[in-house]
Amino acid sequence: MNIPFADIKKQYMSIHDEINNAIQEVLNDTAFIRGKYVERFEKNLSKMYGINHCIGVGNGTDAIYLSLKALNIGPGDEVITVCNSWISTSEVISQTGASVRFVDIEPDNYNIDVNQIESVINKNTKAIIPVHLYGQPVKNMDLLIEIANKHSLFVIEDCAQAIFSEFKNQYVGTFGDIATISFYPGKNLGAFGDAGAVITNDDMLAEKVRMMANHGQKVKHNHKYEGINSRMDGLQGNILNVKLNHILGWTKRRQDISEIYKNYLEDIPNISIPKVDKDSTHVFHLYVILAEKRNELMNFLKESGIGTALHYPNILPMLECYKHLNYSPSDFPNGYSASQKILSLPMFPEIKKEEIQYVCQKIKEFYK
Amino acid sequence: MEFIDLKAQQKLIRESLNASINKVLDDGRYILGEEVSNLENKLSSFCGAQHSIGCSNGTDALIIALLALGVKPGDGVITVPFTYIATLEAIATIGAIPVLVDVYDSTFNMNPELIDSVIKNSEYNIKAIMPVDLFGLPARYRLIKEISEKHGLKVIGDAAQSFGASKDKLNVGKFSDITTTSFFPAKPLGCYGDGGAIFTDSSEYNKIIRSLAVHGKGTDKYDNIRIGMNSRLDTLQAAILLEKLKIFEKEIELRNKIADLYREKFNNLDVRFQYIPKGYKSVYAQFSIVFDDKVKRDKAQSLLSKNNIPSVIYYSIPGHLQTGYKYLNYKEGDFPVSEKLSNTILSLPMHPYLEEKEIDIIVRTISKNI
Repeated sequence: MNIPFADIKKQYMSIHDEINNAIQEVLNDTAFIRGKYVERFEKNLSKMYGINHCIGVGNGTDAIYLSLKALNIGPGDEVITVCNSWISTSEVISQTGASVRFVDIEPDNYNIDVNQIESVINKNTKAIIPVHLYGQPVKNMDLLIEIANKHSLFVIEDCAQAIFSEFKNQYVGTFGDIATISFYPGKNLGAFGDAGAVITNDDMLAEKVRMMANHGQKVKHNHKYEGINSRMDGLQGNILNVKLNHILGWTKRRQDISEIYKNYLEDIPNISIPKVDKDSTHVFHLYVILAEKRNELMNFLKESGIGTALHYPNILPMLECYKHLNYSPSDFPNGYSASQKILSLPMFPEIKKEEIQYVCQKIKEFYK
Repeated sequence: MEFIDLKAQQKLIRESLNASINKVLDDGRYILGEEVSNLENKLSSFCGAQHSIGCSNGTDALIIALLALGVKPGDGVITVPFTYIATLEAIATIGAIPVLVDVYDSTFNMNPELIDSVIKNSEYNIKAIMPVDLFGLPARYRLIKEISEKHGLKVIGDAAQSFGASKDKLNVGKFSDITTTSFFPAKPLGCYGDGGAIFTDSSEYNKIIRSLAVHGKGTDKYDNIRIGMNSRLDTLQAAILLEKLKIFEKEIELRNKIADLYREKFNNLDVRFQYIPKGYKSVYAQFSIVFDDKVKRDKAQSLLSKNNIPSVIYYSIPGHLQTGYKYLNYKEGDFPVSEKLSNTILSLPMHPYLEEKEIDIIVRTISKNI
């Protein structure tokens, strides 16, 4: 049996006609740059999410960059984030000229250890970027907000992988000052190219992000700020309009798949399956286990036709581009240890029960 | 009447466009699919550059070019105030300082004679010169190159509007250390969303540019050796560009014919045009006319508007007078040619499918005014 790590084609086939119609609409109207379909998507998402503003942008990385710029973060400032994330989270901090301060993860939930945040706060600290990695909210999100308020820090929630996950019955992305989403094709809500969004309840921040993302202008040729060019394409906006109608069903399906995995895997002593915090829902963008002899297991699964991936093989502070910060693995014991054991198993709404069974059976076979 | 008629073009190639789009949808490789590298190869053969690299948009292309050349915060980059804001913005985004020189009154492009004294008098460490090929006409790269070599500077050609243009059989993409372009839908070669590309003959720059555009990647995706960004051309857009590239050469000819018609029909009127020096070929991203003064220009524009004829002022506020760029401490009067052009210029409808009778209407409407 061949089971890919993710299969976005299957999803396309299930909504083939809707997507094709959406594309033809955009072509007919030549509404290619932002335009009415992107505006419609912004409204649709805001409404579903219960937030005042949604601004479609070029991609999830730009979304974080724009949020930092809208908060006036730049050279001399420090921004705190987590050691285990995709490079976007930290690279945009450097792009603004600010410095990044990494914090270790909570071993059970792979997200920032909120209790360690205060130890890296100093007079230059301006913001915290919690990442709701794999689709699960940061544990103790309310404590994180409390700490941010106590030290007057901004909170930018990186929801690239966690759209529609909840902490204490509230969607992630609605706790901080501003939040960012990625619609990279492989995401739970994925476009057919690069796209992203910034969401916020703050009118001023929303207006500034809107301007910064379109060359710092509100009125054409009148540039109030030095901005960038980061706009959601009309084609992607209308594709997302279609997918938004299905997202809650797909999310539910991901959660059901995680239950199936759980049933088959929870008794294997050599691995540990994801734990869903009591305060949270997990939208399972990724299904990440900790595995003994991880690399061997990965190879064994590959030989059995099963696609897996690592998110992420290296913690951020150990990457070559952060060499100058002189960190060592012992500075982030939990993050480093997890990076040696994590393994992401196939996870997409269209995966069949037999396929999940096969994956689990092969894992059992490996440890026999 | 349309300022730029994307629908007329679409009608001609709709079937092949749809077929290409459907192929991308079916393939499911929406990020850096094979259409992207196919397009990059086709662009290289089209313009003659050794390397073509797709990216998200023309602004990112400039930012990536500056980073690839090692321009650092606090460095100066010479460019012009009479341009779209992206030119200055890209320099400012990486923390460098736009150091401005005025343009020629005739070609609207960078006046190389002014560069030497600006370099001499600048308080900044100048690292590069970034000429802009305004409205599709290449700048005077031979002269600019002489100056850059004398001072040990690099040249980035902002060819956002000029991909497809040439001088003496040499194409845009070959004039600078790094050349950048935009595939914004309204551009002569435009996609159906945001897109851009970078051209260079240097394999070293090619390597750095490709890394910068994909999060500073090293040998693989999760090995990040430098601070980069996310700037990729969507597979979908590459597929659309591949179809448009097939008719691009023909469209450049059509644009030139329309420009000739405009010039001919305006011949007896008191307006002037962008001067195209001998050996240069423009792609006419815009066709612009210049009036004697602002009153005449504004009157012409309102007359056109009353007759439902679109026209646009590129650019009504030169870069040095934009609110966001006040910190550069330039003032009114610093760049008299750019300022005068901002007050007297007007861009008229221009696309390959503009009809002669439409041009007649435009010329007739304006002639009532002067």
